[in-house]
Amino acid sequence: MMPVPKTHRNRILAIAIAVAVVIAIVLVAVSYLTRDGADETTPVVTTDTVATETVAPDTSTAVALVAGIPQKGTVLGKAGTTVRLLQFEDFQCPVCKRYTDDALPALINEYVKPGLVRIDFRGLTFLGPDSEKALRIALAAGLQNRLWEVVGLFYENQGTENSGWVTDALIDRILGEVPGLDAAKVKVDAKSPAVTKQIAATQAEATALNVQGTPWFYVGVGFRPPYSISPLPLEPSAFRPALDGALKG
Amino acid sequence: MSDRLLRVALIVVCAAGIAVAAYLTYVHYQPEALICTGSGGCETVQDSNYAVLVGIPVAVLGLAVWIAALALTIWNTDLARTLTTALAIGSLTFTTYLVILQLFVLEAICPWCMANDVVLVPLFTMLALLRLRSAPDA
Repeated sequence: MMPVPKTHRNRILAIAIAVAVVIAIVLVAVSYLTRDGADETTPVVTTDTVATETVAPDTSTAVALVAGIPQKGTVLGKAGTTVRLLQFEDFQCPVCKRYTDDALPALINEYVKPGLVRIDFRGLTFLGPDSEKALRIALAAGLQNRLWEVVGLFYENQGTENSGWVTDALIDRILGEVPGLDAAKVKVDAKSPAVTKQIAATQAEATALNVQGTPWFYVGVGFRPPYSISPLPLEPSAFRPALDGALKG
Repeated sequence: MSDRLLRVALIVVCAAGIAVAAYLTYVHYQPEALICTGSGGCETVQDSNYAVLVGIPVAVLGLAVWIAALALTIWNTDLARTLTTALAIGSLTFTTYLVILQLFVLEAICPWCMANDVVLVPLFTMLALLRLRSAPDA
């Protein structure tokens, strides 16, 4: 092929670069301007999330509380949120139930729903066999991004410690209350090595972070390692200073 | 560096870019396949609102650009050389934006994305510019 004259080539190059840069800038502008578009125009529908803004009248409080909020695994809240609240808990811990009843709804409404904070569930099993049985079901539901409904429902039905209250009938009832959940798959996944590994990883994380009981809370901001907070009493007002502070950076 | 060597280097970089972009495209649709170190940075980046551009996953756009870059490099003409350089500079502009997003907006790093944005695309741009400079004059 005949070489193109240099001046002509330079002109083509300048035009091509200008076009490429303009296209890149347009892509940047579109990306930036549409970053929240999906959240504004659709009822929080993602490929792997429960996405029902409309809650059936007979839906339990636990299910209604998290309806329409994106979930992924153990995380409740919009991805890309830089502040996260890690909560270590045990399904048999009465104080965890009190926190779930008294503080969590306000935290979800004030911080998670507006996309300010993500809450990350960390389940421990130190109280006994019922803790582990419930946790396995919750984590298996997390594989379908429905963990938070199950967490709330277990606390709603919390029984006496290690009395065998996490019965198969209770599990069936709880799983039946979660919209869009494949209950049969949850029961299979609950016994899977993946769930066992997740439980062990959380235990190791709790040891590394020096978790001293449940519920135990940490706040993580961006890349920085999470730091422990001690919100007492377990009411929304005790969490607000830590979360507001984290949001300010 | 000879033109032939530069061309081979460009082909190698494009192949690496295609591999990374193909992997990121795959994990966009199969999130459980994501292999990532760190504290959830990959998931944060991959699930963010910035991971999709007008309905198209950014990983898919990246894959398309790398395939185009490879095709242009194989198509060994003056025009292809010029278009490769333009494509490289356009890509560099956009990936700079993606790096800024990861560092300052999402505050989460996806190492696979960074490998593409900080290593492969700048390397590709540099090689494309060098190759353009070494092109024979008329």
